[in-house]
Amino acid sequence: MKRFHRRDFLKSSAAAALAGSSTFGALGRALAADPVNFFAWSAGVDQVKSHVSAFEAKTGIKVAYANAPWAQYRDTLVTKFVGRAPLDVLWVSDSWLPEWADAGWLAPIDGYPQLTRYNSDVDDFSTQSMTYKGRQYGLTYYTDYMAFFYDQEKLQKAGISAPPATWDEVVQQSLRIKQAGLAEYPLMLSMARETWLIEFLSAMVFSHGGRFVDDGGAAVMQDRKRGAHAALSWVVDAVGKHKIVSPACVETGELNGLKAFTSGAHAFAMLGRYRVRTLNDPKQSQIAGRARQALMPAGPNGSHATVGWNRFYGLTSTAAKNKAKAADAVKFIEWFGGKADGSYAFQKLMFLDVGAGFAVKPLFKDPDIVAAYQAYSDIGMYERQQSLARKKDVVSPWFGEWDEVNGTAWQAAVLGKSSVDAALKRSADTWNKLRKQS
Amino acid sequence: MSARIGALPGAFRAAPVSRYDQAAAMWLLAPMLVVLLAVAVFPVLYSFWVSLFDLKLTRPHRVPFVWFENYAIVFQDPLFWSSVWRTTWFTLMSVTAILVIALLIAILLNEEFPGRRFLSAMLLVPWAIPYVANGLMWKWIYDSGYGALNGLLLQLDFIDKYMFWLGDPDKTLALIANAFVWKEVPLAAILLLVGLKSIPADLYSAARVDGANLWRRFVHITLPGLRPAFMLVMIYETMMAIRHFDLFFILTEGGPAEASHVLAWQVYVETFRKLSFGTGSALAYIMALVTFLLAFWLIRMLGRKL
Repeated sequence: MKRFHRRDFLKSSAAAALAGSSTFGALGRALAADPVNFFAWSAGVDQVKSHVSAFEAKTGIKVAYANAPWAQYRDTLVTKFVGRAPLDVLWVSDSWLPEWADAGWLAPIDGYPQLTRYNSDVDDFSTQSMTYKGRQYGLTYYTDYMAFFYDQEKLQKAGISAPPATWDEVVQQSLRIKQAGLAEYPLMLSMARETWLIEFLSAMVFSHGGRFVDDGGAAVMQDRKRGAHAALSWVVDAVGKHKIVSPACVETGELNGLKAFTSGAHAFAMLGRYRVRTLNDPKQSQIAGRARQALMPAGPNGSHATVGWNRFYGLTSTAAKNKAKAADAVKFIEWFGGKADGSYAFQKLMFLDVGAGFAVKPLFKDPDIVAAYQAYSDIGMYERQQSLARKKDVVSPWFGEWDEVNGTAWQAAVLGKSSVDAALKRSADTWNKLRKQS
Repeated sequence: MSARIGALPGAFRAAPVSRYDQAAAMWLLAPMLVVLLAVAVFPVLYSFWVSLFDLKLTRPHRVPFVWFENYAIVFQDPLFWSSVWRTTWFTLMSVTAILVIALLIAILLNEEFPGRRFLSAMLLVPWAIPYVANGLMWKWIYDSGYGALNGLLLQLDFIDKYMFWLGDPDKTLALIANAFVWKEVPLAAILLLVGLKSIPADLYSAARVDGANLWRRFVHITLPGLRPAFMLVMIYETMMAIRHFDLFFILTEGGPAEASHVLAWQVYVETFRKLSFGTGSALAYIMALVTFLLAFWLIRMLGRKL
């Protein structure tokens, strides 16, 4: 009789384990329906989960939901794409769209009429933010814009009856407030190097009638007649000449800026529109009830335009290639980004629960939303300013690289380490170089 | 029993190693060797391999082999050279301050006085705080709007209005170095204290008999006796300062403008923000090489005098 050696035992065990795992693996896959793999950043997690549950109950389609913090989201997703992790539907920021579309990770959704039919309800800039090289890549989940706020009480104390309509008026009113001893630095600007910076800069440039790049994609930011120069010059003067903005703006991030404004230290602030809920919340703000939104002040040749941003549901290319998976994923996108049971349920839920903005215009007439918003701000102003919002013109495959240099250049000018011309030339040269390389 | 005990010394004599023993030892060590190769050697070699490609994660379909072009790109970048300068300045400031402060603390703790043990325990607190928590704490201290530093200076009448600290590019690097020194001094002080304890007390007694005053005893006995510990602290802290990233990430993100754009920050930006793994790896290799050469030079220079 042949002896059964230890090595034979190990071989047999390994073979049995492999056979077992493949058998049970196949069985497991057969028993559990292939879920829609949905990845998002960790915002509104409870709301997402409840809406996922409702989707599963309604359609019988399983969803595997996972999330990562916003700060690490881009890196996480890029790594997952490269590592071919299972991803079907995901939240995408408009800033990453060209990069991810060019890499072949996202698929256009304009071949699915059940999704594009919602475009007529959506603000134009929001749809444009989801469009790249003429193709639409998603349905919006959240949209907002950079807003101009003022402390009504401080203006009244300084004898100012109406908020500023132009950036010149911002200077004049700030000087009056400063002279009245109501605020050392009346205007709060957050210009720390973080993802928010480009939103602030874009709002300044757009309201000065400017562009960073023209329709053909060439840099125009360095052109003295194209608004960016006027916008940066205004900021430089506000800090160095008029002293109405603190030089510490370069170390003030958006969240710290919010805290500073809620502390009552300033009369004016540029913040994300959705912050108005916090500004007028007595538990979180010392200026509760006094924070009002005004239209973005206009530059000499500008308008009340501001920058808007968009976050949307994207479909991955791998999901799009699989007909059955794509069908499920499209249903899922419609349930979240379009209507669920006949209404924009998820956008409404996110607005009422966490104050997240929306791009679907019919919600501006929704009685629940109107009532909730009127409790802390003016929904008419919300809608009016949103209609003047524009998408960022610098979103491109090389946006991340350029943004690093551009933020540094603006900061250097504000700190007096560089002239306005030199700062914008550096930014423009970097843009043109990266554009050429790509 | 006695015979067995009597046989014990012989058991410790070096016996010839059999082939079986050698093979057994090899097999026993193999798992750890495999682990080391997988988690240490392979990533190091692989990252060098990566540095020879134009590898950008967001451009997965085009990854050309470019030989040493990434290194050439790095060396031609003015930002790299300004980062080298800032890293050197940061390292010089930090290491000098750490050595001086740690030496004074070590000398103090080497003396007997009431509360010495409590003070020694307190000294360890900054060392025990993680770097991220340390960074957040200093961010709060330096904040120009509500920071403790402004509050303190205002109460002491050193300033008449709040100053801005990290936002001032002329102060940024020194303020980050201050936070780094605060965290690193305890370890350096303990290492120097161990060095002080190892100096024979007889030397000081003999010097006193010979009429050497406190200063001469410090210069001729303490400092030479501390050389090994000094060398250890200097090399360790120099390497830590060159490679330091956490405080730059939390306090300034390389700003304002480029005031705190050091080498470690550039590696991060290149690798994790631009997702350019090729140039990021090249930069990391340059930084590792510089650190290695500097450590080697310090060991040779100081070791010669030991």
